[in-house]
Amino acid sequence: MSSDTITAASVPSAPNARDLGKKKRGFSELLCSSNPNPTASAMSSDTITAASVPSAPNARDLGKKKRANRSAKLKQCKLDARREQWLSQGTAKNRGFKEEQSGGVQCGKGGNRALENLEMSSRGEDMDRSIHRDSDLDSPSNSPTSATSSVLGGADSSTNFTGSGSSGSSSSSSSGGCCSGCITEDEEGGGEDDGDGLDDWETMADALAADEDKPQDQNPSSESVAQVVSPRQATDGTGLRDGNSKLECPKMVSGACGNSQAWRPDDAFRPRSLPNLSKQQSLPNPDRYYGGGGVAWASKSVVSAPSSCPICYEDLDGTDSSFLPCLCGFRLCLFCHKRILEEDGRCPGCRKPYETDPIEVEASVNGGSLAFRLARSCSMITRS
Amino acid sequence: MQASRARLFKEYKEVQREKVADPDIQLVCDDSNIFKWTALIKGPSETPYEGGIFQLAFAVPEQYPLQPPQVRFLTKIFHPNVHFKTGEICLDILKNAWSPAWTLQSVCRAIIALMAHPEPDSPLNCDSGNLLRSGDIRGYQSMARMYARLAAMPKKG
Repeated sequence: MSSDTITAASVPSAPNARDLGKKKRGFSELLCSSNPNPTASAMSSDTITAASVPSAPNARDLGKKKRANRSAKLKQCKLDARREQWLSQGTAKNRGFKEEQSGGVQCGKGGNRALENLEMSSRGEDMDRSIHRDSDLDSPSNSPTSATSSVLGGADSSTNFTGSGSSGSSSSSSSGGCCSGCITEDEEGGGEDDGDGLDDWETMADALAADEDKPQDQNPSSESVAQVVSPRQATDGTGLRDGNSKLECPKMVSGACGNSQAWRPDDAFRPRSLPNLSKQQSLPNPDRYYGGGGVAWASKSVVSAPSSCPICYEDLDGTDSSFLPCLCGFRLCLFCHKRILEEDGRCPGCRKPYETDPIEVEASVNGGSLAFRLARSCSMITRS
Repeated sequence: MQASRARLFKEYKEVQREKVADPDIQLVCDDSNIFKWTALIKGPSETPYEGGIFQLAFAVPEQYPLQPPQVRFLTKIFHPNVHFKTGEICLDILKNAWSPAWTLQSVCRAIIALMAHPEPDSPLNCDSGNLLRSGDIRGYQSMARMYARLAAMPKKG
């Protein structure tokens, strides 16, 4: 699901995408040989297939290049460590974002990240830095979106990522020229942010749409990129949202494919969380952009900030703060609870032994339903 | 082990921030080892220890906070629950009543409370305990006062 987001992010920034490819070398064998694009199959729109068809050979070339690099793995380790760091810092930020998931915020994030990449590539920053930032932006979504996190994500996200990896590299190689056009357009149009950092996607989509009209587009692939981004954003939505919002997505897709614009200002399906575009006409100011985003996150984390675990003093996340292990009301994080259960098993608040029965009962219920489901699926398989 | 280090670091920050909040306790971490702490506590008022400053040594185990820190008096003190020679402290929260919710700071507070309210029924210092148990409050107080003057107060010219 999240891999689509990264595709959207890496599409417009050609050099960056290639760098990302280098980073991925550790598991790139899988990625590069893959041309079945889940995005394309899911959407079955011809623009996407047009984009993904040339991607296959390109991806293979990249794959050959990618093979010999050992140092990339080392870098990856470093990046993983960094990401951990950022994630831990971002956990507080997470909560604010999670609450808004129903409002098309994910798409905004995708665009946000894309903008991020654009800025990075235009500035020519070194790779470590850019990944670093990238994962910073990813961490709020708490999903294996970035290249590094996809590495961490491993098997569960590999199928998705395969597609996105190939398409990402394809666009990076096939439409490098137009990408720079997108970059400038985007920076002019949508760099400015009011601090919540959520509305860049729309700006970018509009910028891309405007880009189509430009005479400077030298190859047709630019158009396909512009359109590919839009449906991908939609798939992004399907992946990241929950059930009821899925209904929205087909409409969004059709709209996106029709006029290459994410939402018209008067669109009924336009999420209300997106502010008006008129606010963002001024020039981009990256420093202010980052600062504003940080402030917004900080304030959000303050709003939803639960207390920290009294044992390890780490912040309690959503699961922890809804976790009430003892009748005395003493809360602690799951990690510390587990450690205490392993040792003396008494509640730190009232020093009474924890009652482990309810948890065991729950576990058995879960196990039972899981077994039931497995049995059902097995039977279905045998039938078919 | 990593958890204990992180927790101690957080406690260290907390102590730095709340230095003013509790003037009776001064917690200092060893420069090179975060598992070694020393504390200076003021003798509680209206006790024989009033006016004295007592030094405590903390040895924090790696299982902290699941295991209690080991605390002992470095300053000689005449108290039924403190071993006169080793400075070992007999305090339930440092033994079986320990809870991970306690901090080094709260341990210091507990020790100050213990100084004000000795428990003569579980003595480590039998002389002191016997004085209290036999009802010789005055004898206990004068002995405690004397040792506090000797060991815990700056020498007067």
